[in-house]
Amino acid sequence: MQFAVHRAAGHGRPALRVRGELDIATVPQLAQCVDAELAAGPRSLVIDLTDTVFMDSSGARQLVRAARRAAEAGTSLQVVCPRENKAVRLVIDLLELQRLVPVVESASLTDGEVGS
Amino acid sequence: MTRPPATAPDPLGRLVDGDALARCAQEPIAVPGAIQPHGALLAVTEPDLAVVVASANAADVLGTDPSGATLADLLTPAELDRLRAALAGDLAEADPLQVTVGGREADLVLSRSGGLLVTEWEPVAGAGQAGAAWHRRLPRVLQRLSAPTRLEGLTGVLAREVRALTGFDRVMVYRFDADWNGEVVAEDRRADLEPFLGLHYPAGDIPAQARALYATNWLRLIPDAGYTPVPLVPPVVPGTGAPLDLSGAVLRSVSPVHLEYLANMGVTASMSVSLIDRGTLWGLVACHSYSGPHRPSYADRTAAEFLGRTASLLLHTAVEAADRDAVVAVARREADLAGAVGRSPRAPAAALVDGEVTALDLLPAAGAAVRLDGRLHLLGTTPPADRVAALVPAVLRAGGATDRLTLDLPGFTDLAADASGVLAVEVGGGRGDYLAWFRPETPREVSWGGDPRTSKVTDGRLSPRRSFDRWTETVRGTARPWRGHEVAAARSLARHLGEAVLARAGEDDRLATALQRTLLLEELPKVPGVALGARYRPSEADVVGGDWYDLVPLPSGRLAVVLGDVAGHGLSAASVTAQLRHALRAALLRDEGPAAALAELNRLVTTLLPGEMATAVVARLDPASGELALASAGHLPAVHAAGGSAELVGDGRGPALGLLDDADYPQARLWLGAGERLLLYSDGLVERRDRPLPDRLEALRHAALAAEGGPQEVVDAVVATLDPAGTDDVTVVGLARV
Repeated sequence: MQFAVHRAAGHGRPALRVRGELDIATVPQLAQCVDAELAAGPRSLVIDLTDTVFMDSSGARQLVRAARRAAEAGTSLQVVCPRENKAVRLVIDLLELQRLVPVVESASLTDGEVGS
Repeated sequence: MTRPPATAPDPLGRLVDGDALARCAQEPIAVPGAIQPHGALLAVTEPDLAVVVASANAADVLGTDPSGATLADLLTPAELDRLRAALAGDLAEADPLQVTVGGREADLVLSRSGGLLVTEWEPVAGAGQAGAAWHRRLPRVLQRLSAPTRLEGLTGVLAREVRALTGFDRVMVYRFDADWNGEVVAEDRRADLEPFLGLHYPAGDIPAQARALYATNWLRLIPDAGYTPVPLVPPVVPGTGAPLDLSGAVLRSVSPVHLEYLANMGVTASMSVSLIDRGTLWGLVACHSYSGPHRPSYADRTAAEFLGRTASLLLHTAVEAADRDAVVAVARREADLAGAVGRSPRAPAAALVDGEVTALDLLPAAGAAVRLDGRLHLLGTTPPADRVAALVPAVLRAGGATDRLTLDLPGFTDLAADASGVLAVEVGGGRGDYLAWFRPETPREVSWGGDPRTSKVTDGRLSPRRSFDRWTETVRGTARPWRGHEVAAARSLARHLGEAVLARAGEDDRLATALQRTLLLEELPKVPGVALGARYRPSEADVVGGDWYDLVPLPSGRLAVVLGDVAGHGLSAASVTAQLRHALRAALLRDEGPAAALAELNRLVTTLLPGEMATAVVARLDPASGELALASAGHLPAVHAAGGSAELVGDGRGPALGLLDDADYPQARLWLGAGERLLLYSDGLVERRDRPLPDRLEALRHAALAAEGGPQEVVDAVVATLDPAGTDDVTVVGLARV
């Protein structure tokens, strides 16, 4: 699958849908997209890994960096990665990325919206 | 023969519409069949000097009806002698002969056409005279003309001196480009007139026929743009059936279309002098009056033509000097940039983008793109990043340079404004890196000398603005062409950059490999009661990963085993790895347990190496009791092979290093029985893009269970069974109690 980062808006929030393999070769593209989004100072931003078929440690590190930058910019960042995406979800779980950034099952069930 | 073509000099007067242009293109330019009324024309036979054709005003101008006469009837014997002497030599040398006809002084100008001698009689009375003073100044004027080394200087002096000499209200120097579009490059004018400097005209404003005439005929004059043409009688030369060719005649009548345009623009008199560079029409000196008829004397016109001829000789040296300056300037900036890259070979992009001189300064362009190490940097005015990423590779495939993008390549019509000109060069290294420069569509680069909307000397239909608009249409989609020395400088800079990047990559690889080697143990330590095995296999790709392992005998007699992995590759990952390895070793030597050591290491990463991320697993074995304390910071689970089973160690897991500012790590406690093994490994062992990670972990568990022998044999067997992809480092450490 060709790597691509698509910009979409879900539930009124900007979302970056990451398709393909997120690794040392493709990480710069995601970094650029994240920087571009954060530059606009949105209240929240979603990085959606539903269609990400592979993520290596460089990809994980980029999520960490994105989370730190978002925090600095006052943007609440959420990562979407369903349990069914075992390959990527396992990496997230191993690294315990959810302790830094909320990782949710789907874009429609993010913390900010449930029950609000 | 009703509509003579537009042949008069003035570029601003050449605002012909399409129909008129079409007619002009077909009309014989040299045979208008009429002259202007400020003189009379007689075509005579040689050697009899019998009048064959006469202008209808000849009797008025000469005071005698010349029909059936010879020149002997009009001239005194002395004048006739001078005429005959002139005819024996070069006619141009003799012009003008000063004669008196009908009691009036006149300048007699001679030329030959169709086997006849053409004599033109221009009364001296009524002509403007710059006077002797100007002619005495001629040496100084010539000195001023030849002093400037730059084109702007030369054309500026030319416009000023021609105006001082001839007294026109406005004198412009008009330059043609390769497509015969014109531009006003110098101007001297009455202070109250709107400037025309910088105006552009489409090639169509001066028809090709007119240009051909200008290349051989140095000066044209219309002293009264409101004149009524005077027909030649008879209209065709008797005995030939052809009209008289007036291309060499100074009184030649011009197109009524042209006169109409002059009138519309308020021009009452005009004159032009050709500028010819080594046989090719280069431009014109165009002169206007707006305040009634204006006729410089023949002598002053000759002087103006002389200035034009002199400037013509100087043109190519001035142009070449300007070129030389441009070449030198580009070469100097190329050296500056290459030097900046040389001074900071690790950050060539910064050298080209952030320095005092940037890639954009290399050559005249509105924007530049620098793509190095896969990262795109934009400078100045460029298309958006995503379009640049599509555009530049397309231009590279098409040869690397275009000055008419939308005409050369399909699919980029949206970029005409900013990037009608693209110059692109590849930077070696196989990463698709490049440098590119962008030039806007030509009309965007051009400024008006004055505000065209407030033009006072123009009307709507035939305004310079309209001509500018038509010129804009002609050059739409095109940019200023890339010059040879500019392309050469761009290529040279790219070559230099490619070498620097390659050298840096090679150096980085050597450094990183050397660094990595210091991280691996030459020899596994001998620890009583413990058997150890280790395997490190570097990645097949030419990059160094961030794996490390360590075996730290502790003062208590226990042994700490470490396996870690820093996210990323290359020199920076290797140096982070070295720091982590030594910091963790120091923390472990306090012997407060794996969890405490990882918590301390995590603090170090978040404070000293922000933005880095690593995982590590630490196992501390007491060889005497078999007690194992284990903590993992985001690392893949260790494998505990005991008797007939192999389990992934799920306890003692905390977040990866660098994730949280302050993290606590749980510590698992388990027992390593005699003959049992513990395997620690990096993700390179199990990561395969074609297989989900959970499956690979399951395969690892089975391999560890199946392997036999000591820790080294088990490690080797596991690596062989799992057959990891060669894209990442593979590190495996095994231990057992003996």
